[in-house]
Amino acid sequence: MKKIFAAVLVTLSMFAFSSQAFAHFMMTYTPQTVLEKAKDLDMRIVFTHPAEAGHTMDMGGVKEFYALHKRGDSEVKKIDFMKSLKEITWTNPESKNKAYAALISKKDIKSMGDYMFIMVPGYYFEKEEGSYMQQITKLLVNVGGIPGNWNEPAGLPCEIVPMSKPYGLWTGNVFQAQVLSGGKPVANAELEVEYMSHKPDLKKNGLVKKCDVDYPNDVLVTQTIVTDSNGVFSFGLPRAGWWGFAALGVGPEKQHDGKEMSQDAVIWVQAVDMK
Amino acid sequence: MSKILAILVLAAAFAWPQLTLAHSPIFDCSDNGDGTISCEGGFSDGSSASGVAIHVQDASGKAIEELKLDKNSEITFKKPSQAYKVTFDAGAGHQVTKDGKDIVQ
Repeated sequence: MKKIFAAVLVTLSMFAFSSQAFAHFMMTYTPQTVLEKAKDLDMRIVFTHPAEAGHTMDMGGVKEFYALHKRGDSEVKKIDFMKSLKEITWTNPESKNKAYAALISKKDIKSMGDYMFIMVPGYYFEKEEGSYMQQITKLLVNVGGIPGNWNEPAGLPCEIVPMSKPYGLWTGNVFQAQVLSGGKPVANAELEVEYMSHKPDLKKNGLVKKCDVDYPNDVLVTQTIVTDSNGVFSFGLPRAGWWGFAALGVGPEKQHDGKEMSQDAVIWVQAVDMK
Repeated sequence: MSKILAILVLAAAFAWPQLTLAHSPIFDCSDNGDGTISCEGGFSDGSSASGVAIHVQDASGKAIEELKLDKNSEITFKKPSQAYKVTFDAGAGHQVTKDGKDIVQ
């Protein structure tokens, strides 16, 4: 009886583990994506499972962290924020690991327009799969209401280029975007989509235990969509809050340190309720 | 007949730039803390505000300075010593005024 019980437990844990393994999500987070006027931005960079407040991973450091600023049709300016990064410990209810905090001074985002934050992490080694992961992550913040480069490519190895303003979405809107690899559209790219159902607590540096969503099954924890022949995907946002999109293995780098690697493109968008 | 056509074409040509102005004007200023004020303007569709007139006036509406936004839709000028206001003037219905006392660092 004990053996059967143990076997059931092992099988269950394997299933549980495999569902977790499919939902690694790099988060670049700040509470507000639209600012009427410049103010200090409190940001966090965490590699975790935002739908389940699950396992938090060591992203292998941050290779690049900067913003591309554009106001109207002005020239794009690059603002480096590597010096703003501070290593922290991110603590979820049942897991903790290294992560980063950045306090972006309002002086650096004084000018109105779009600030496209780009974060290129190091390499994360997934022991169970014997392969590396690198999720290049994009987050757009607008100051003052003048749009800029929200729908322009950043020239990254792989990226998700929005076709709907990622900071201007009502709940129920369709978020549409194009997946690029080396600047070219990726047809039939697979994307995972997750809702940040555990809110980040920036004072405690962790996701809170309370889950805002009652998930009926794992399929709905991490949804899967694919791009069309032009590399375009569309996704209706059913709930206010943060939605993450990860285009898996679309980047040109397929190996790291002699092992397989998945170079992914991630973007986070924020939907707001119409009251 | 051809005169009417020419007038219509001209009218359309003048009307066309108005289309780009059929969006909200956006204007903001900040105090640089060194005795100067910087302002930047634009439109909600991202179109350029280069060349838009900027009126710097005293409290009674008397002109202190008449300026224009540069190619980057920006301008920096000496902070007036008296109470003042700054108006972004992109034509009727596209004006935004900032009171000097709300322009802070």
